[in-house]
Amino acid sequence: MYKYVVRRFLLAVPVLLLSSLIVFSLMRVMPGDALIALMGESGNVGERELQKLRRDLGLDRPYYAQYGIWLWQMVSLDPGYSIFTNEPIAVALKKSIPVTLELATLALILGLVIAIPVGVLSATRQDTAPDYMGRIIAMSGLSLPDFWLGTLVITFAAIWFRWIPPLGYASLWEAPLTNLQQFLLPAAVLGFRLSAATMRMTRSTVLEVLREDYVRTAWAKGLGGRIVVYKHALKNALIPVVTIVGGQLGTLLAGTVIVETIFALPGMGRLTVEAILFRDYPVVQTNVMLVAATLVTLNLVVDLTYAWLDPRIRY
Amino acid sequence: MSTVDRREFLTRVGWGVATTTVALGGTRKAQAATPSKYPDWIQASAKPPKRGGTSPRATAWDPPVIDPRLTQSIGLFQFVGLTSSRLVRYAFPEEATGTTDFTIKGDLAESWQPSPDHRMWTFKLRQGVKWHNVPPLNGRELVAADVKYCFEAYAKEGVQSFTFREIEGMETPDKYTLRVHLHTPNVLFPQNVAESVTVIFSREVLEEDGDLKKRLIGTGPYILKEHTRKVRVVLQRNPDYYDKGRPYVDQHVILSAPDYATRLAAFRTGQSDIHYVSSPSDVEVVRKTNPDALVQEYKNVLAPFGLALAQDKPPFNDLRVRRAISMAIDRQKQVDTVYEGHGMLGWGVPYVYYQDAPPTADQLGPWWRYRPAEAKKLLAEAGHPNGFATTLFYYEYWPQMTSQVQLVQQDLKKNLNIDVKITKLDYTTYYGRYVDGKWDGMSWGFQSGHAVGLDERTYQYMHSKSTKNFFRVNDAVIDELTAKLRQTPDVAAQRAITKKIVDREFDQVLRMWMPYDGGFFLYQPHLRNVAALALRRADGYGSPTLARLWLDK
Repeated sequence: MYKYVVRRFLLAVPVLLLSSLIVFSLMRVMPGDALIALMGESGNVGERELQKLRRDLGLDRPYYAQYGIWLWQMVSLDPGYSIFTNEPIAVALKKSIPVTLELATLALILGLVIAIPVGVLSATRQDTAPDYMGRIIAMSGLSLPDFWLGTLVITFAAIWFRWIPPLGYASLWEAPLTNLQQFLLPAAVLGFRLSAATMRMTRSTVLEVLREDYVRTAWAKGLGGRIVVYKHALKNALIPVVTIVGGQLGTLLAGTVIVETIFALPGMGRLTVEAILFRDYPVVQTNVMLVAATLVTLNLVVDLTYAWLDPRIRY
Repeated sequence: MSTVDRREFLTRVGWGVATTTVALGGTRKAQAATPSKYPDWIQASAKPPKRGGTSPRATAWDPPVIDPRLTQSIGLFQFVGLTSSRLVRYAFPEEATGTTDFTIKGDLAESWQPSPDHRMWTFKLRQGVKWHNVPPLNGRELVAADVKYCFEAYAKEGVQSFTFREIEGMETPDKYTLRVHLHTPNVLFPQNVAESVTVIFSREVLEEDGDLKKRLIGTGPYILKEHTRKVRVVLQRNPDYYDKGRPYVDQHVILSAPDYATRLAAFRTGQSDIHYVSSPSDVEVVRKTNPDALVQEYKNVLAPFGLALAQDKPPFNDLRVRRAISMAIDRQKQVDTVYEGHGMLGWGVPYVYYQDAPPTADQLGPWWRYRPAEAKKLLAEAGHPNGFATTLFYYEYWPQMTSQVQLVQQDLKKNLNIDVKITKLDYTTYYGRYVDGKWDGMSWGFQSGHAVGLDERTYQYMHSKSTKNFFRVNDAVIDELTAKLRQTPDVAAQRAITKKIVDREFDQVLRMWMPYDGGFFLYQPHLRNVAALALRRADGYGSPTLARLWLDK
């Protein structure tokens, strides 16, 4: 197991290097730069001043030099400063990561809390009203895009209940109640989408497992329905579900971009989008690398979870 | 089993889309023209103002940095006008006679006088004005040397250097007197230092920090208590503000909400006091849930967007081509369809500087009228009987802009056989390419949004030597007239010259303005002394006008 983990981490190095090269190149291919965006419709900055600013920020150096410097910054865990705001990127990340982490975690929890029971219910009550209902919910989750659902939720909350989550992010530690009000709706929107695929997968795998011989044996032994379904069938049905959830984490992170914008949460999604729009190279590059590293790690965690779920699996 | 045929399916889908559109706040346009029934001016309240309360507003804009030397972003100036003073300012809503009242009032300066040749301006400063009572200023008195330092810093570097490099030198004969010597006479200089972007910042902060990116300390009615990017800006009442008894509101909270639906929901639920919508039908959608909201129709005095042509290169350096293109565009169709009949045909210099009423279609001259047959003839005379191919790049500031661009494309193809290849760009790419001024073909051009003054709107935007001349105007007559305007103290004569500038612009089709609409402001019913003024929107560069706001609840 230890060797496996080390090997996986070593394999992650070329993946991250390739990601870094792709994001660095793409940012440089895009026209426009952060200095132009910073001027904000003033337009009255001379070329000499712009050149000076570019020199100060190291943007006049050859690309390979810029890439090398940035890689070193990544390795030394000092990503530098935002061109656009002049804020240390580490500080910006320290503020935005907890927001996205909280949103993603809540969405994941909500998604699983909806998906697994409904998926199991659909499977155990196949072709009955609860099953149809579960499948409709799952299909809706797969079909409705986050931006549409998020906009609809906030609009109708305002019209029907005269309430929307309070604007102006409040930290979980400083104002937990306000924080929960701010996060529940966006997490529900994200979680709903996440739950859809998980629900479908849970239903189909539980259906499959319920037809296995060992389950029939369990029934024949006279075990109770809950024990058969939840102890014997579900655990074995979960491996593909975990795979699906692992694969959905990337989608979940991508979804935060839209949902954070709609619900005005200052997370990594908004930070990255703003940085892309304003050509804030260091911020975009650092964020993409962080997301890439996170996904690599999560995939490893998913693989390790297989072994926990199925003791026959050994690395 | 009932069946749904194709027609019924489309009908149902159509209803579904329409219902959703209304539910989302009616961000799309209704087909029928809806005349406005709302006033364009809200009178100041006759009641005695009440102190206290918090005024929140949701905003789409975040300031990149809070250093006014480095950006003219609306994200910054939506609140800097409340924390910082200027030498002089434009009238606040309660002082103004209407939206187009551009009277200049004293802010830090009590009075100002030009020398006979208008090359020197003497400003007498108010005594006893204190900086905010926070370190390192700790409420010390503002003196003339502070203003001098600030203007020198603006001239030295940053986005305002063009404006302040007009200053040859400054002297401070005493603590409360500032003499400004200009390189060339300029009767309009006070207007330039009344612009919302020319705020006075503190010398100590710049010297200690090397920039103004972390601390913003001024002498204005509010103290910046918190600035958390993408979250909120909190402004707290300055108890030592020189205008005793003011401001009335204890706190302004500006909440970051980049999504339109969120801002609308915030207004509906009382989390935002001010909301802007672009069309009459949008107003009605909001009033369904907020029938008591105060509504102000915002009547623009100029159009900020137009078709910019690479007029220093063929084929657009040929006047006949520019005139033909202008005549081939049906502007009224854009007003009727895109702006629901509620819009202006388009002109660039604020009309209030040269006449009392908005220009009529006739006043815009023959080249602004839709005359496709004449346009085709003129283009043929210019050597393009079969049209030509060109490009147009733009950034979609709002969805209707794309419709306008496409209507222009259709008109030019239909009437002149000009093939326009449209490229829609993201903001940074568009902005960089546009201000760089080296592009070919056409662009959907803009003039900066913050400017109020005549000098900014004429000399600085149209003179061939100006760095803000984005439309690439290079016309000797315009150069001469805009320079002459700066040397003409008499207001009637100024209006006459401005009219000549405008007439020349229309005649030579130097900037091809396109229809525009001002939109509408919605205010919570308890807001008093609030109104958007021409070129000074309460939620943007006109934020200083909120200094006199009070809450009647």
